[in-house]
Amino acid sequence: MDTAQPDDVIVLEDVWKIFGKREAEALSAARAGIPKPEILSRFDCVVGVAGVNLTVRRREIFCVMGLSGSGKSTLVRHVNRLLEPTAGRVIINGADIMQKSNADLRRLRARDIGMVFQNFGLIPHRTVRENVALPLEIQGASLNQRYSLAEAALARVALSGWGNRLPSELSGGMQQRVGLARALAADPPILLLDEPFSALDPLIRRQLQDEFIQLSRDMGKTTMFITHDLDEAIRVGTRIAIMKDGAIVQVGTAEEIVANPMDDYVADFVANISRLHVVHAHRIMENADKWRARHGARHGDLTDFAPARADMTISDLIDIAAKTDAPIAVHDGDGTTIGIIDKARLLDGIKGDIR
Amino acid sequence: MTERPAESQTELVQRFTGRGGDYYTQVFERIEQTTGWHASFNVVAFLLGPLWLGARALWLAFWVVFMVEIFAVVLVGIGIFGDLGSDDIARADRLTTQAAQRMEAAQKAAAEGSNLAESMHKSAEAIATAAQKAREAAEASRGQAAMFVGIGAALLALVRLLTGIGANALLALRFRQWRSNNSRPSALPLARITGTLLLVGLCYPLAVYRFARSDVPIWLVTFPAATDLRNALSVGIDQGVRWIADSFGGFFAAITGAINAVLNLMETVLVVTPWPIVMTVILTLAWQISGRRVAIFSGSALAYLAFLGFWEKSMATVALLGTAAVLCIAIGVPLGVLCGRRPRVNAALRPVLDFMQTMPAFVYLIPVIAFFGIGKPPGIIATLVFGMPPVIRLTALGIAGVPPAIREAALAYGATPRFLLLKVDLPLALPSIMTGINQTLLMCLSMVVIASLIGAKGLGEEVLSALQYAAVGQGILAGIAILMCAMVLDRIVQGQQK
Repeated sequence: MDTAQPDDVIVLEDVWKIFGKREAEALSAARAGIPKPEILSRFDCVVGVAGVNLTVRRREIFCVMGLSGSGKSTLVRHVNRLLEPTAGRVIINGADIMQKSNADLRRLRARDIGMVFQNFGLIPHRTVRENVALPLEIQGASLNQRYSLAEAALARVALSGWGNRLPSELSGGMQQRVGLARALAADPPILLLDEPFSALDPLIRRQLQDEFIQLSRDMGKTTMFITHDLDEAIRVGTRIAIMKDGAIVQVGTAEEIVANPMDDYVADFVANISRLHVVHAHRIMENADKWRARHGARHGDLTDFAPARADMTISDLIDIAAKTDAPIAVHDGDGTTIGIIDKARLLDGIKGDIR
Repeated sequence: MTERPAESQTELVQRFTGRGGDYYTQVFERIEQTTGWHASFNVVAFLLGPLWLGARALWLAFWVVFMVEIFAVVLVGIGIFGDLGSDDIARADRLTTQAAQRMEAAQKAAAEGSNLAESMHKSAEAIATAAQKAREAAEASRGQAAMFVGIGAALLALVRLLTGIGANALLALRFRQWRSNNSRPSALPLARITGTLLLVGLCYPLAVYRFARSDVPIWLVTFPAATDLRNALSVGIDQGVRWIADSFGGFFAAITGAINAVLNLMETVLVVTPWPIVMTVILTLAWQISGRRVAIFSGSALAYLAFLGFWEKSMATVALLGTAAVLCIAIGVPLGVLCGRRPRVNAALRPVLDFMQTMPAFVYLIPVIAFFGIGKPPGIIATLVFGMPPVIRLTALGIAGVPPAIREAALAYGATPRFLLLKVDLPLALPSIMTGINQTLLMCLSMVVIASLIGAKGLGEEVLSALQYAAVGQGILAGIAILMCAMVLDRIVQGQQK
């Protein structure tokens, strides 16, 4: 991988996608702030993506979360130009892909981007190995290379020995692993996952999520992960973007979104999310100096308190609090006490009253 | 059940019905409250019948009632005005006069003492009996008149009764449709009333007039056709075809040449090569491509052809239709792919394909002869016209049916259009394409008899001559031979798919 390349791997700048014959008129109307239903009735055009700006940094898993019809699958298809934006720029590794020729675009898709689809998109009459080798075949790799790289990719997703089967002989979860292996086969730096685990049952989904997080960490891929499931986004995502009606409502880490939802729409989403594993100590602690001022206690008293690290989750803090009656002292990396969490504060944090 | 405010419901019904709103408000309410069938009788609909239905734009019911009533009116018209039995009476009168003349002649002869008198008398009596019978038949027909009127009137009454009973339910149904979709017709616009009135007012009297009178003007019975126009048109087409044949002679000759090239190759392989080689190759191919069962079947089919002396003709036929099928597939599959990917091309080509399949072969045989003369190449061209549509249609169907998700996945990995076509689209559409090829092969074979009409020799010629001499046995044997050729070819081409 070229380390000289910029750290912002995927950049979307004011991307608009409007479906319909009168897209130009509809675009200017939508930019002027006319709502979607009116654009549909006036121009017979559907606004798929409405002025999205986002940046995916190297090696992060960037989740795009939204309900069906929010435009998230449409959005991800702009990254490899499966869909042409009506307006805006799509920049991959510093190069505007709208400027690329067809051949360059195909090379980009084959070499730099792996994509996984909700309904797998495997070719039914080809064996699993031939499916996995598809990107290599398109790149014109030799038969030997195709075989060995495909086997390696299959081994990564724990499907060694299944290469000669047909996709229809595999279960849904295994088929999606084949899809993942195909995305990894050519070792592209960028992965696009369009609701990869949505069609699977909850147990398999969880298992594949864990495997994927592990793989992505090991291989250092830059990933754009589309999902309609906030739990999944929180488990998998480094950062999460929440989409509504084609536009991005809020971008942030899981903790930022859960602890500090931008508007009612996001608040509704996160209402049912358990804060225990998402919110960290530094967010709910009371500043150590304030605590001292409030209690008039001397510095030394704090040493009796149960110690905790700033990056511990509420769940960890509950474990600590269960073993002691004293408040919890939160330390930073150097061992300095930076904050205090007493019982009342902890309970407020669990309830979500601290923002 | 949702309770709507009474006012708004009443207003809605008023607006929907335009007239008689109060009555319909009550009726609709009762219909909506009743589970199952609510019996009601709409007197206006009963009295006006199709006029009411038309004015209310209940078109389906209108047309049913209209047709039945026309029939009933015609029956009544025939019964009342029709001169039933008038033919019989005229005949009876004629016969009576004839009998009287004969009788007179017989008496005269008897008076003269001729020995013919007896037989003349007998024949006169016979004629008189016939006259009597004709009169009786006329009487019977007269009696039928009452029956006609009876049936007609009963039918009319029944239809009106049903209209009266069903009217409110139909209108309530339309009201419910209209409530959710305001573009459904409602109220009673003047134009609709006049239109219905005109239709009924013109058709009923005209129908009665046509059937009730025997001396109707000729234009009412047969459509006044423009025979001159037809003649002029066909002469024009004749000239056009002749002009094309004269001006593009070279072009048609080139096509004929190309077809001949393929055909000669086929014939060299199948007809000129000694039969043991051809048979061995066919059987081995059948065995290798489609397995043992097809090989055994092919062996018995070939034995049938060979022992009954159809071998040479069969091979000539297979060469002919093989050429046609190869051309069909070579042209049809690419066209089908184009159709499957481009809906506009598909829309444009569809009527052409319909034409090719529906137009009787004899119709396009004529211009084919004009352009290409007679012999084998024009036979192949006629076969092409008939045989190509299935492979185009089914290829298009198969290509259009390739799941978009799979194509998208291939595209996302940088597939070129060629890769997409050869490695994704065609393999996925293959079952459909193979069905198309199967259909095309069979349709090509069914054309061999017609092709033999314009000089394409082979098994078709056998059938044709059997037809000319009404030789049933020979016809059936040759027909089975054609069937055998088709089945062997098809089983080998389809391979192990089944």
